[in-house]
Amino acid sequence: MNPYQEPVTDASRNVILVMRTDPDSNAEDNERKLQEFSELTKALNDRVVDVITQERYSDRKYNVGSGKAKEIAIAARDKKASCVIFYDPLSTSQIYNVSKLCNEAGANCRVMDRFQLILDIFAERATTHRSKLQVELARLRYELPNARMLVSLSKKEERAGWGGLGDYEDSYEQDIKKRIARINAELKKADLEEEARRVYRHKNGFFIVSLAGYTNAGKSTLFNTLVDEQTESKDMFFTTLIPKTRALVINKRKILLTDTVGFIEDLPHFLIDAFRSTLEGIYFSDMILLVVDFSEPVEHIRKKLMISHETLWEKSTSNIITVLNKSETMKPAERKKKLQELAHLIYNPIFISAKTGMGISDLTSEINRNLPVLLTKTISLPNDERGAAALSWFYDNGVVEEILYGKYMTFEFSAAEEIMARADDIVLKAQ
Amino acid sequence: MVMFTVIAVDISGRHRIDAGYYMVCAAVSLEITPTSIEKINEINTDAFLLNRSAELHDIVRIIETTVTKIKKKGPLIVECGDLFNLDENLSKTMFTQEIRYQESIGERKAIELAHYVSLSTRKLLLKETGLDIRIHENDEDENDEKDESGDENDNENGADNT
Repeated sequence: MNPYQEPVTDASRNVILVMRTDPDSNAEDNERKLQEFSELTKALNDRVVDVITQERYSDRKYNVGSGKAKEIAIAARDKKASCVIFYDPLSTSQIYNVSKLCNEAGANCRVMDRFQLILDIFAERATTHRSKLQVELARLRYELPNARMLVSLSKKEERAGWGGLGDYEDSYEQDIKKRIARINAELKKADLEEEARRVYRHKNGFFIVSLAGYTNAGKSTLFNTLVDEQTESKDMFFTTLIPKTRALVINKRKILLTDTVGFIEDLPHFLIDAFRSTLEGIYFSDMILLVVDFSEPVEHIRKKLMISHETLWEKSTSNIITVLNKSETMKPAERKKKLQELAHLIYNPIFISAKTGMGISDLTSEINRNLPVLLTKTISLPNDERGAAALSWFYDNGVVEEILYGKYMTFEFSAAEEIMARADDIVLKAQ
Repeated sequence: MVMFTVIAVDISGRHRIDAGYYMVCAAVSLEITPTSIEKINEINTDAFLLNRSAELHDIVRIIETTVTKIKKKGPLIVECGDLFNLDENLSKTMFTQEIRYQESIGERKAIELAHYVSLSTRKLLLKETGLDIRIHENDEDENDEKDESGDENDNENGADNT
């Protein structure tokens, strides 16, 4: 059986979660990780039938101890589990060994790790061609180091032997490499288009704001509230996978707001690589709204903020506003206390509730306050056909104040520096 | 805007060279916000030469020695890798002052700055002192034997206040 290639078919699977923790690790942290692990399974509508934990150092053969591995196999059989998911990343031989134990116990289940689960979630959410390619790339990168071992294990019983006519399937690894190269080339093309779009938007005076933050922080709900959109938003991990951009007008200024994929702890590097272009959308925006679920315990918020900062720090040079979402669930004194404890991680804090609309006006004024200063100039255009065409350009690219009509149309025009540099040319052409 | 005083610490040169393990520790006192560095208060660098690879207690001693000379105090910010990825709560008990691993963007930038300071100071000192930086892989076993017999005579070169 090839444990990597089995497609997700069941709408609702019975799953067993397995979490091994090091003996000297933080118990509270482990509890949080287990809770998050269980939340992840909800994203695929899985039903958790058992949670098995063990405190010990990693075992080379099964990841957990051999006794615990047998316990897992029996639990999988008794509870009719179709999936056993480990929190730790598993090696190919560990997957093989645990699968073998499960088969011997009479359980018919697939053994996988948390990364594979995340890949399954992404695969289900990917709807556009680009996102499908990104998910496939991540899956192939995940498979590549294990490809050789995988072939060796699947051929364990039927080796061709010396002098035999059989063939070792070495081409599997080569096939993966070729496919990765092909997807990379295709994605590069798509990334160039995306970059061109970004440059075009900047050139045309759009201010780009991105929503970033830990998964399930409420980014899509805030997006819907701000742009009055009906994007799918659920109490579920990775609801948004494909970035969405909508126009927003704040104080007559045009802004493009982008909703993106959320961050998660220990995000595997192959996934980050595959979704690099999506993350670049955040890095190259002019402002980041870092959304945090503020209703959670302080320690959880601290960890999630830490992960968000870690993801953003190397490349991002944007302004950051920390949006403390779900603040309506606590009293002002409690909010203040939490804020004090997390002050070193929270920049430009704004308390909001994307669900009830609390604090949204504060957020929009904070965005407005952080927008780059516009230059203002008095423009005079002839009151004729050519002047009207030019006026339309001014409306499209900046803020036009009240127009005085006479022989000339005179008005105050405010825009970003790059736009203002082109304004004189437009006026000249209209004369 | 809320600013915090922190001391970012970084150690460069934990690999072996001819002379042994020549490490430079940089402690930088800074004012930071959660996303940026606002001001650098003072910098101190110290160089240490050990004849064996640094263990946890050596690293603690190196950091404590370097930080003592900083006048403007604040919590120490270090990279967890510098303390062998030790659990944060455990590492806190080993120091005489508050210590934590980098969390915010500002703290990460501070560590980056401390890293540039320690790295460039080490390069400069290696040039000035004429210590050979070539690694003699074949001598490794011989040196290890020497390490076992020699011990505890680690020289300490002070190279203060750049």
